[in-house]
Amino acid sequence: MRIDTNNLKRILIKPQSGWVPLNLHELWAYRELLWIFVWRDIQARYKQTAAGITWVVVQPVVTMVVFSLFFGRWLGISSGDVPYPIFTFCALVAWTYFVHAMTVASTSVVGQQSVVSRIYFPRLLMPISAVVGGLIDLFTSLLVLVPLMLFYGFRPGPEIMYLPIFILLAVMTALAVGVWLAAINVYFRDINHAMPFITQLWMFGTPVAYPISVVPEQYRAIYELNPMVAVVEGFRWSLAGQGDLPLRAITVSMVAMFVVLVAGLYWFRRQEIRFADVV
Amino acid sequence: MGEFAVETVNLGKQYKIGRRSASRGLHTLYEDLVRSAVTWPRRKAQGATSPTTLWALRGVEFKIRHGEIVGLIGHNGAGKSVLLKILSRITWPTEGMAAIEGKVGSMLEVGAGFHPEFTGRENLYLVGAILGMKMPDIKRQFDAIVDFSGVHEMLDTPVKRYSSGMYVRLAFSVAAHLDCNIMLFDEVIAVGDVDFRKKCLERIRILADEGRTVIFVSHNMETVYDLCPRAIILDSGQLVHDGPTDASILDRYAHFAHQH
Repeated sequence: MRIDTNNLKRILIKPQSGWVPLNLHELWAYRELLWIFVWRDIQARYKQTAAGITWVVVQPVVTMVVFSLFFGRWLGISSGDVPYPIFTFCALVAWTYFVHAMTVASTSVVGQQSVVSRIYFPRLLMPISAVVGGLIDLFTSLLVLVPLMLFYGFRPGPEIMYLPIFILLAVMTALAVGVWLAAINVYFRDINHAMPFITQLWMFGTPVAYPISVVPEQYRAIYELNPMVAVVEGFRWSLAGQGDLPLRAITVSMVAMFVVLVAGLYWFRRQEIRFADVV
Repeated sequence: MGEFAVETVNLGKQYKIGRRSASRGLHTLYEDLVRSAVTWPRRKAQGATSPTTLWALRGVEFKIRHGEIVGLIGHNGAGKSVLLKILSRITWPTEGMAAIEGKVGSMLEVGAGFHPEFTGRENLYLVGAILGMKMPDIKRQFDAIVDFSGVHEMLDTPVKRYSSGMYVRLAFSVAAHLDCNIMLFDEVIAVGDVDFRKKCLERIRILADEGRTVIFVSHNMETVYDLCPRAIILDSGQLVHDGPTDASILDRYAHFAHQH
């Protein structure tokens, strides 16, 4: 069998500097590798663990119990007409996903340096597969919501149809922050030290334990720049029917998220030509 | 289409080393800020100083026809790996250019992409995909790859329990079944046992007979002499010899070896 050398694509390799196109069609051509990475990361996480996938639900459930006790019962934070555990769990599902996806994305390039310095593939696949892979956790913890709602005799309304939009918004937000952190981490490992601190502070800026009404009206515009405000409020609205659809927050934070995402993608592409030399 | 599979023109790659070397490795933002603050008056006084640099590759020019097997030789640090990394688009050149016609498959280090916790079977899919194989191709080639590697009975064992020999065999087998017309091998078979090494060289010959272009890096002059009709010698980043592999090349190489 002889291979055909007549219809080959010619690739020019030249010094690169400055901004480069995102090359989305190449990313699309490599979509199979995206699923392979997702599959690998999920498999790898639970190899040689005793409890396996159960770990995914332990974190949000335990946090929910603690929050319900401290904030719901003892501090008496009002959750409106929704039982506090449901109120906070809807938010925790989104929040836990976000923290996990963002953290995994932040180490996605550094953690795969042996591959980065030896094999060519679109580098953006690494942070993308990190945020996509986290969806397994999100869906698993959504399942926990079912017995919780049954227990409180709570039925979600038709708003649940809109949940996929907010899930997508959560994925995009995690990716927007993730691509920045992943690229910066290649140069400065400080990111790893800063992550717990960043996520902790960020949670205070997001209505996970408290309702958005706690935030004074005059600070809302700044507050809503945080894309996770829209995501968390959106989860709550679509799952528990609580509050009105946070349209203004969604618009504001989608614009904020989109700017950060597009800038991050281009910046990542600009930096990636140096990854193999630096990492 | 053109007659050359690989073509380079004045190809060069510069690395920053020395004073600024920290910027290429692990360090903290804090260190960076402190350093730039401390050295600022001096830098200001001296004007723009260029950090110490090293040309890992410079002015390299060659043309390789479709279907050629070329041996790439040189000492550690001669620039062989950098050259292969540029051709596989892992790193970018600082000057000049390279043109590639077709799809490049490279095996720059044994076991890149392998996950130690995964079984041989799982790794075969994982690494195949990372190296650019499509799922149907991996399925189609699966038995051939396993047969070639000879690790049948360990296929469902995590590769962290493999002996280094088995590991090499599986890794090479995947690379040897890539559907690429240009294949780059960097020191891949230096570690295997004699029988497997022979098998690999046979396989590389078959790949070339099929019309693929092979660039083969090795320290072993005899292997290059056996396998590659043509050899390129790099020394300190420069191309110092490019021609047919004959007895005189052994002398030349020995000559360069002497200088180090």
